[in-house]
Amino acid sequence: MIDLGFLDPQALNDWMVTQRWFASKTRDVASIEIVDNVTLRAESPVLALCLVEARFPAGTHENYQVPLALRPADEGWDERVIFSDDEWTVYDALADPATGRELLHRMRANTELQSGQDEFIFRWAPNAAAGLGGTVDVRPVGVEQSNSSIVFGEELILKAFRRIEPGVNPELELLRFLSAHDFPHIAALVGWYEVEGRQIDATLGILQEFLAGFRDGWELALEELGTDPERLLDKLQALGGVIGELHTVLGSDSSDPAFAPDEPSMEALPILSADVDEQIERAFLDLPETEATAPIRGRGQDVREKVAALSHISAGGKVIRTHGDLHLGQTMLGDRGWIVLDFEGEPARPLPQRRLKRSPLRDVAGMLRSFSYVTAGARLLRGVEAPADWEARARERFLEGYYDTVDGSLLPPGRQAIDQLLAVFELEKAVYELRYELNNRPDWVAIPVDGIVRLLEDEE
Amino acid sequence: MAAGTRNDPGHWFEAQPLWFKTAVFYEIHTRAFFDANGDGSGDFRGLTEKLDYLQWLGVDCIWLLPFYRSPLRDGGYDIADFFQIQPDYGTVDDVRDFIEAAHQRGIRVIADMVMNHTSSDHPWFVEARSSPDNPKRDWYVWSDTVHRYEEARIIFTDTETSNWTWDDQAGAYYWHRFFSHQPDLNFDNPEVQEAMLEVLRFWLDLGMDGFRLDAVPYLYEREGTSGENLPETHGYLKRVRAEIEANYPDRVLLAEANQWPADVVEYFGDGDECHMAFHFPVMPRMFMAVRREEAAPIYEILAQTPDIPDNCQWGLFLRNHDELTLEMVTDEERDYMYSEYAKDPRMKINVGIRRRLAPLLDAGRAEIELMHAILFSLPGSPVLYYGDEIMMGDNVYLGDRDGVRTPMQWTSDRNGGFSRADFAQLYAPPLMDPVYGFQAVNVEAQMRTPYSLLRWLRRFISLRKEHPVFGLGAYEPLKPSNTRVFAHIRTYEGDVMLCVHNLARSAQAVELDLSAYEGFSPVEMFGRSRFPRIGELPYLLTLAPRGFYWFQLVKDESP
Repeated sequence: MIDLGFLDPQALNDWMVTQRWFASKTRDVASIEIVDNVTLRAESPVLALCLVEARFPAGTHENYQVPLALRPADEGWDERVIFSDDEWTVYDALADPATGRELLHRMRANTELQSGQDEFIFRWAPNAAAGLGGTVDVRPVGVEQSNSSIVFGEELILKAFRRIEPGVNPELELLRFLSAHDFPHIAALVGWYEVEGRQIDATLGILQEFLAGFRDGWELALEELGTDPERLLDKLQALGGVIGELHTVLGSDSSDPAFAPDEPSMEALPILSADVDEQIERAFLDLPETEATAPIRGRGQDVREKVAALSHISAGGKVIRTHGDLHLGQTMLGDRGWIVLDFEGEPARPLPQRRLKRSPLRDVAGMLRSFSYVTAGARLLRGVEAPADWEARARERFLEGYYDTVDGSLLPPGRQAIDQLLAVFELEKAVYELRYELNNRPDWVAIPVDGIVRLLEDEE
Repeated sequence: MAAGTRNDPGHWFEAQPLWFKTAVFYEIHTRAFFDANGDGSGDFRGLTEKLDYLQWLGVDCIWLLPFYRSPLRDGGYDIADFFQIQPDYGTVDDVRDFIEAAHQRGIRVIADMVMNHTSSDHPWFVEARSSPDNPKRDWYVWSDTVHRYEEARIIFTDTETSNWTWDDQAGAYYWHRFFSHQPDLNFDNPEVQEAMLEVLRFWLDLGMDGFRLDAVPYLYEREGTSGENLPETHGYLKRVRAEIEANYPDRVLLAEANQWPADVVEYFGDGDECHMAFHFPVMPRMFMAVRREEAAPIYEILAQTPDIPDNCQWGLFLRNHDELTLEMVTDEERDYMYSEYAKDPRMKINVGIRRRLAPLLDAGRAEIELMHAILFSLPGSPVLYYGDEIMMGDNVYLGDRDGVRTPMQWTSDRNGGFSRADFAQLYAPPLMDPVYGFQAVNVEAQMRTPYSLLRWLRRFISLRKEHPVFGLGAYEPLKPSNTRVFAHIRTYEGDVMLCVHNLARSAQAVELDLSAYEGFSPVEMFGRSRFPRIGELPYLLTLAPRGFYWFQLVKDESP
């Protein structure tokens, strides 16, 4: 353990709260404290894997993984600097290629590091080739998401989870399950590291195959909407097939309690309908009066009644582990066809909720909403107008591909029940989008508003 | 070790020895909750199936009534084998699966544990009575005369006439503080002390997060005493705690000691005995306050409640699986409670009233919300009783306390969705009366009704959980001149909460002295509406009949 006592807590505080991955940007922070650290490297750059607790004035707290790097101040390091004094520069270790190399090395060697009562465990996936990654060319990925990533030699990518919660991260859980069941449309799991500690047991990072030469599904769709919307439809039908196959595999193993497909409980639909109802109530409570919101203003009650009516079906099909946050941005297309990424679920939900088994149609609804987004996105971002019926056809073709490969017993019986349940999930998603866009991208508010209006007017 | 394979409760929780101080507890009678195998009786697989519901509701910890092998002459509090479960509840493996599934959802589980006595069917007692020379003889308390420990009161006054019962086979009297089929174990015997620790270890090793310790005041007997709260009893509980401290982090011991607060605090020791204890006397006083439309009974009992160590917590409840006990009230108060809440003599049992929350409050929605608000605002952890969240009723025609232990009402379908068995096969008939029957009162209907009590309570639970102040904060009564209003302030770290409750059936105005918070603004917690800033003058609020407000007091930057 490195003595980080010289690090000004205020500097760490000021840096953390401005990071994209810091979950509670809107709340005051009472204190930020390093609760444990383990040394990854003792000579310059000194690397310490830190667990940090952020406490809030009400007495609640959140945990974060914050790897810190230290170099002598005279080296003049200037990337992602958190603090510096005459002696040391302290900075975000994930900005330093040395960190990636250390983590990779430890995963490959299947090592364990002890720090007090905490054990940091590094693992290489059993069927991953040992030579992967080499030692060259480590680069942090520029865009910071809710996690931080490092790419190794265009072969491997490490995703370090920032906010950590007790239990297995669903991403690790799903990747291990899908690898074990030979599902080909994922970036292969190569390694991971985790902590079993006095304070928390949690997954800290995941190492996967880097998809060199693959294209991001969202970017690809934006572009092809302008160049070749027909060919894009073929691709989306293939994507439907991949998602259907994904669900079939996720619902195929009754021997593993974490994945065994279950009958939906008697409460499944009432809970869904109550949850969506609460989200609608909240979204409409402080709906701003703008041009974009005009079509739904004052219609909160209609939306709530619509959800209530749609969810009056007998629950059928199965509940299974799902992707949890599926949209075009979570896919990539390359020479192996479509690849599905990011199985950690919606980061804003607590881990026990993200691990819940749900109807696979919830993923499907997420993807269908994404087609609505990409149609509008092409207009907003590229000035490209999609063909008038393109979105409707994209939905049809995707579903065609999906129904071809999905195990039908996972879905409610009959097309009408499927459509109704899909509509509930689409409404749920659109209401979530509405709140998100109102807070983050006012220009995009019209997209969920259109979606809500369309679902309201749908007479089925 | 690979992630996801440990059965250690720590795996799905952060280490937090004081988790119970901010938890919402939910008490379940396994037999009554859900019947997964269709034999007419609830079971552990049924509990597992209903975890979605409990997770949705937002409870942090489930307390299970006794589920051990038992002849069921006292609702399972008469244990015949501590290491087996009631066969119609399933298997010990089902219990393990249930605990693991609950942990994965972020829910902990504690079990009722009866240390004081066993069933007379327990093999220990069967051996003990067989001969004076049997090695188990001294595991129980025997006497040749009934004239020992005569100062110990009789608890089950409706059924028992003495704490001694003659056993022909043993040729001696045996001691029992409860029913005569429940002989008391002899805790003076070191083998009994060790055997009980062995029982606790077994369930803790299975993943159980702790115990609700039934009837703890009575473990030891001493001549010339009431046989309650004896130093030896505290000594043994401290030994149990030390064992848990050493080997089982983040577990909880919740004492059931139906005693005055000054005696109950002894069960906390110096923070080295029980983590929690129920606060019995506060509960009847809340019912008194709401019926008299006066806050005084609540202020008074809280004023009489001593401080407790920082690592301890009160368990607070409105109703539970027992009668609404009136042991900890004066005779006059008891007469008042009986006259107000037990108009039908069938509603009385022992020293108490065997009714559920909703019928006690005449199904008054405002009253039920008000009582929950007061409960949630008090220093302690609330313990909810299954079915009360949907305003289930009771059945006074069932014997003993079975009337408040009827099947959970899930849907309006057959048997209230509790079981697929034939009606005649059910352990008890579900309620079918027009007001509280499952056709009218059930989980599904209330989930689908936006303004149902269930939906309201779920929001309230999640609101309370966002503010640890309610579990951890200081309590400061405000005592305004309007005696119909119960108002107090809770503070913890940066959080200040003002809770104002109108106990009257009529609208009330109240002036509160908030001078200590001049410059703060009250923000109402359900709707986040900002109220006028607190100034120098008394703060005026008006409250609807049985209405309440909870405010967060927020320091105003810009006046």
